[in-house]
Amino acid sequence: MTDHAPTLRPVRDTAVPDGERVAARCPYCERPFRSDHGRDLHVGERHDPTDAERERYEAALEEERDELWLFHAKAVVALGVIYAATVILYMAVLGTFF
Amino acid sequence: MGRDGQRAGWRPLARAGATAVVVLALAGRAAAHSGSLGGSVASASVPTWLVILTGGIVVGGSFLFTTLLTDHEAMRGVNWWRVALPTSAQLRRVAVPALRAVSFGVLLIVVATGLAGPTTPTQNFALLVVWVGWWAGYTTTTYLVGNTWPAVNPWRAPTRFVRRARDRLFDDASDGALPDRWGVWPAVAGLLALVFLEVVSPVGENPRLLAVVVLGYSLATVAGAVRYGDAWFDRVDPVSRVFAAYGRVAPLQRDFDGSLTLRLPGTALTEDPLPDRPGEVAFVVALLWVTTYDGLVATPTWAAAVEPVVSLGVPALLVYAVVLLAGFAAFLGVYRLAARNVRDTADTYVTARAIERWFAPALLPIAAGYHLAHFLGYFLGLAPALGAVAISPFAPPANPMALVLPGWFGSVKLLCVLGGHVLAIWVAHSLSFELFPGVLAAIRSQYPSVVVMVFYTMSSLWVITQPYAPPPFV
Repeated sequence: MTDHAPTLRPVRDTAVPDGERVAARCPYCERPFRSDHGRDLHVGERHDPTDAERERYEAALEEERDELWLFHAKAVVALGVIYAATVILYMAVLGTFF
Repeated sequence: MGRDGQRAGWRPLARAGATAVVVLALAGRAAAHSGSLGGSVASASVPTWLVILTGGIVVGGSFLFTTLLTDHEAMRGVNWWRVALPTSAQLRRVAVPALRAVSFGVLLIVVATGLAGPTTPTQNFALLVVWVGWWAGYTTTTYLVGNTWPAVNPWRAPTRFVRRARDRLFDDASDGALPDRWGVWPAVAGLLALVFLEVVSPVGENPRLLAVVVLGYSLATVAGAVRYGDAWFDRVDPVSRVFAAYGRVAPLQRDFDGSLTLRLPGTALTEDPLPDRPGEVAFVVALLWVTTYDGLVATPTWAAAVEPVVSLGVPALLVYAVVLLAGFAAFLGVYRLAARNVRDTADTYVTARAIERWFAPALLPIAAGYHLAHFLGYFLGLAPALGAVAISPFAPPANPMALVLPGWFGSVKLLCVLGGHVLAIWVAHSLSFELFPGVLAAIRSQYPSVVVMVFYTMSSLWVITQPYAPPPFV
């Protein structure tokens, strides 16, 4: 599959507020990140990482996985609640509930 | 088919076909049907507020649903799927000039019938072709099929002719250059101006005026394109830009190497952020806003709000212009605010400007869905009249037919709006994965835009479910 991904130009498209120290920077494209976590993911996804970088990328992915599980649990509960609430609302409005 | 109280734009034609009007001015109730084989059909009405709320819930719910899709490679598999279509350069060399010649011929007939044809809207070729055939029907093809406007554009042929004549007469003829800092703002201004003209003037009912407007537009376009070359169609001509923007939603796309490909609808939007030029984002927002404005001025709420203001002595045209500009500024402001908030929710150093350009393509399916909701019924209702008049433009039949659309068609309109928004959610989801590393930052980056989209959906649905009321004072 050829790469059709849109690209960001870090020099033009990123800005660090005055006085803020950049937590991490991509060694390949110079893009600044607010955390090592973001940088590690970016390097693994967008560049050809060294072995050490790949290790960090996989550790970051693992960390994401746990957080994502929690997020998805919340999303599924929210979907269920919204679905139920909508059905009940329709029943109430159309007069088959009360 | 009287001329009493007919109003601007495409609406008079909608009113002209009395039967079509019934369908277009659907009351603000969508019917929920439940039936049984026994033959008894019970039907209950869902109140308008619940229809609107449901729209918001569907869009918010589809966002929650897309957050479950986090496999970036699989998303790319969907978004980058394409089938190359065979194209023949030779066929293109023959077909494009032929198309341009035909469209230029239609343009000439539009001007001729506009100036000399019958003044009954449903008998006038110019009115039917411009509003039903072109603004409703052709525009629909640009986002449902593909942007064919560069090949069809009737002003390309005369432009080429004049350029050749100029080059032959003057040896030192050269193209002018538009200042770079203007970007595409001229097209933004042009789009707002065209919609203003359509709303406040009788250009939709008066074929003579329509012919004059078409002539004026033709002169400006040819003169501009001769002076500035293709930059005119790229940065100034609002019509070309509207079709180019809608064309990005379509399944037929020109690939990077110029070949023709078939894609899934909307997926081409996930590949290019907007170019870094002033006004690019504003144009997309303007496209979204003018469709809303066009619907808004035809609601009873608008009439009730405008009447007291005008009775205070404020000129009606000023009210229309101020609301057009203020609404545009508000839409743009809301979008910019959302982009700025993304910097916090996604915890990123990417600038707000870059975020604006990155996510703006996701607004295009919304504009397309809204256009379809607005114009599909209108187009279908008047298509028989258009067909009958197109066969004999200079001797139209006395009583062209209008198609009567069934009652469930109102629900189709709602589905068009919702479909556009759900596609927009998918495009924004895909774009966020391209911009931010990992999954969580990408998901969190969408919070502000989801809020904005829910707001857009609910306001569009509100406009669509309002009964038709002619815009007052114009």
